Amino acid sequence: MTELLIRGARKAYGATLALRRGDFDLKGGEVHVLIGSNGSGKSTLCKIVAGSVKPDAGEVVLNGAPVTIAGPQASRALGIGIFYQELSLAARRTVAENILLPELPATGGLFVNRRELDERAARYIAEFADVAGDGFSADTPVLNLRADQRQLVEIMKALASEAPILIFDEPTSALDRAQVDRFFEILKRLKGEGRAIVFISHRMDEIFAIGDRVTVIRDGETVATSNIAETDPSTVIRQMVGDQGELVAAAAAPAAAPGEARIALQVDRLGGQGFTEISFRVARGEILGFGGLHGQGQSSVLRALFGAASHDAGSVTLDGKPYKAASPRDAIAHGVAYVSGDRSRDGVVQGRPILENVTPIHFLRNRIGLVRPSALKDKADGPLKALKTKFQTIDHPINSLSGGNQQKIVIARWLIDRPDVLLLDDPTKGIDLQAKSDLFALIRQLAAEGMGIVLYSSEDAELLANADRILVFNSGSVTRELRGDERTRYNLYHAAYEAA
Amino acid sequence: MSIDTSAAGVSGNRSGSAVIEFVRKPLVVALVLIVALLALGEALSPGFASLQQILRLSIVAALLGIVAAGQNLVILGGREGIDLSVGGVVSLSAIIAGNLMMGQNGGILPAVLVCLATGALFGLANGLGVTLLRIPPLVMTLGMLGVLQGLLVVIRQGIPSGRAAPALSQFVSQPFLLGLPGIIWLWLAIGLLMAFLLKRTVFGYRVYAIGSNEQAAYMAGVPVRTIRVALFMLSGMFAALAGICLLGYSGSSFANVGETYMLPSIIAVVLGGTPLAGGRGGYTGTMAGAMLLVVLQSILTTINIDESGRQMIFGATLLVLMLFYGRAKAMRG
Repeated sequence: MTELLIRGARKAYGATLALRRGDFDLKGGEVHVLIGSNGSGKSTLCKIVAGSVKPDAGEVVLNGAPVTIAGPQASRALGIGIFYQELSLAARRTVAENILLPELPATGGLFVNRRELDERAARYIAEFADVAGDGFSADTPVLNLRADQRQLVEIMKALASEAPILIFDEPTSALDRAQVDRFFEILKRLKGEGRAIVFISHRMDEIFAIGDRVTVIRDGETVATSNIAETDPSTVIRQMVGDQGELVAAAAAPAAAPGEARIALQVDRLGGQGFTEISFRVARGEILGFGGLHGQGQSSVLRALFGAASHDAGSVTLDGKPYKAASPRDAIAHGVAYVSGDRSRDGVVQGRPILENVTPIHFLRNRIGLVRPSALKDKADGPLKALKTKFQTIDHPINSLSGGNQQKIVIARWLIDRPDVLLLDDPTKGIDLQAKSDLFALIRQLAAEGMGIVLYSSEDAELLANADRILVFNSGSVTRELRGDERTRYNLYHAAYEAA
Repeated sequence: MSIDTSAAGVSGNRSGSAVIEFVRKPLVVALVLIVALLALGEALSPGFASLQQILRLSIVAALLGIVAAGQNLVILGGREGIDLSVGGVVSLSAIIAGNLMMGQNGGILPAVLVCLATGALFGLANGLGVTLLRIPPLVMTLGMLGVLQGLLVVIRQGIPSGRAAPALSQFVSQPFLLGLPGIIWLWLAIGLLMAFLLKRTVFGYRVYAIGSNEQAAYMAGVPVRTIRVALFMLSGMFAALAGICLLGYSGSSFANVGETYMLPSIIAVVLGGTPLAGGRGGYTGTMAGAMLLVVLQSILTTINIDESGRQMIFGATLLVLMLFYGRAKAMRG
């Protein structure tokens, strides 16, 4: 019987310890659920099994023999098949070709054997034939499929590996009820054949419907493995929360009487790519938190509000006036600011001086055409000091700074001329603790001075400590609002992992 | 950047590493190579580095340098920015200017205006193709070059070639101020203008920003498309200006007079320290790069290497430079 053991796996990325001590055992004939909050080390552990990440310490034992998994191909050769959460399909190729892409049947090692390709693919397609929906066939290009159909192709691709060990990382996020049911039937059959299945999902009902055992990971450590029959959702959530269940006291929320506080931003039934029916208000002086698991629509909402993505439903008012940003440029002109957590993509202009990185918003908001460096340096000085930014001179390239200081520069550009609304999209990703605390101190001060702030953070502790209210996102909608004493880790996880 | 850094390097006598860094600046390398090549030329053929000869080379370099100014801007703007149509615009502009002047000084002003407008128009088409239609600059401007070449054939069949106005010829080749011809002064003025544009205007900051990280620039409210279109228009206008000057230099317009400018204008930019990826560099280095290329060309002529040989050497030079800059970029990341 297949058996995979991971003992004391450890993995650090630079100074960040992603996995402290990962233990995991997987037996043939079971569906083993892996669960953990944002940044708990769940995906790192999963990647170690998949062979795409090499652990710094610890051992991987397969069927009694220690193995080193050198890469994705090696893990395949060892009999491990993986469903990828990030879609890994070739868009212009057909369903059949995609299913067998990792090992296309070939004649003479050179030419694709069409007939064998179609025959083999047909078996997997047939499994889902009655639930796949319209327009799904072996020769449809993946490009023309809906999101749920693409996810089915991913599942078929994993199944087609016919590997003794199968890993499914959130395989059901786009599927409808009937598709999920069919998928679970197949999993049960595979289990009966003695295959070992790792199942990752954030839907408690699914976990309890299909799982045999569940392993909980918290802060990079395996904390518990239990039989599903002997546990319940609340216990699992409590294990994810650990001892930090109590309310993390947020800085004193502004005590403005309701009605008196001026609403900076009001969003009504906003809908777009990746989110629907989002409504909320942010008062001046308030920090509104967006929480939940990664990628549940939080960033998409913020980007839509900033004009960097479009929204097709709903309305927004800014300071009581209708507002719709056609582009970031438009949003900036209206006094809306946006700080992305992906600073190398959205924030930093690499290789250019700090001065050039800190001034673009100032130019735009004041319609400046000619640069007067000395005057600009004086302007930039205030925000840079307020964030305790460390740099040699403002003419040094931004690349000469640490990640935390680079992010401070990116944030400082918004503060030369104060915006009315500040949208923070996971702003502390990958920056050091000192920079984080400097940043949050300033954000609280900005709120106190009357700015309306929306903070999405993938770090739950950070969110609980800094947001006055928290909206929990799940699959593109807000499932719960946490106010006052409700802002606990337990409640946050409970809402985030709630059945959709 | 070149202006600032070279000034800092001259004034500052800091550590040894600063000296090494200074010596590795493309501008410094180009200047050293110019001197070395002049010395080599003098050794091969006495009189090569005479004041008279250097002045003559400077006029040729000015023509190339003006084309390279536009090329420089387009390349700085990044996203594989390159303008392969400059040679066609130079030729077209020379023909238009010649036919509007017909050897009369009174025709200079209308010729300049019409030529600049023509250059701007072709630049606008390039810019719109690249931004709105999302055609890669290489393909877009190569296609435009094809259009221009066809147009030139048609024009030359129908219209006799024009002649430069005497004042223009004088401006290009005769001493104008302090013993230097007008075109040298024009080139220096363009050098100052470019430095001002890139260092002291928000437009310049934005050019570097889109060249270095277009997405970040967009998120900071930079009108990315408008700026990219403006860069192509400026490139067309600089090429048109060079075409007018070229007419003054040669006296009359003739077949594909500007064709030889495409490759050298790109090489001059890269030699001057602006990588093809954009976002870094400046025009001062490009000026030195243009001078270096002209001196090199002259040496090759002196040792009897014909036009085809020279083209081969230029092409190879560009490839070697790519090797050099490709490595530098990897080291940076």
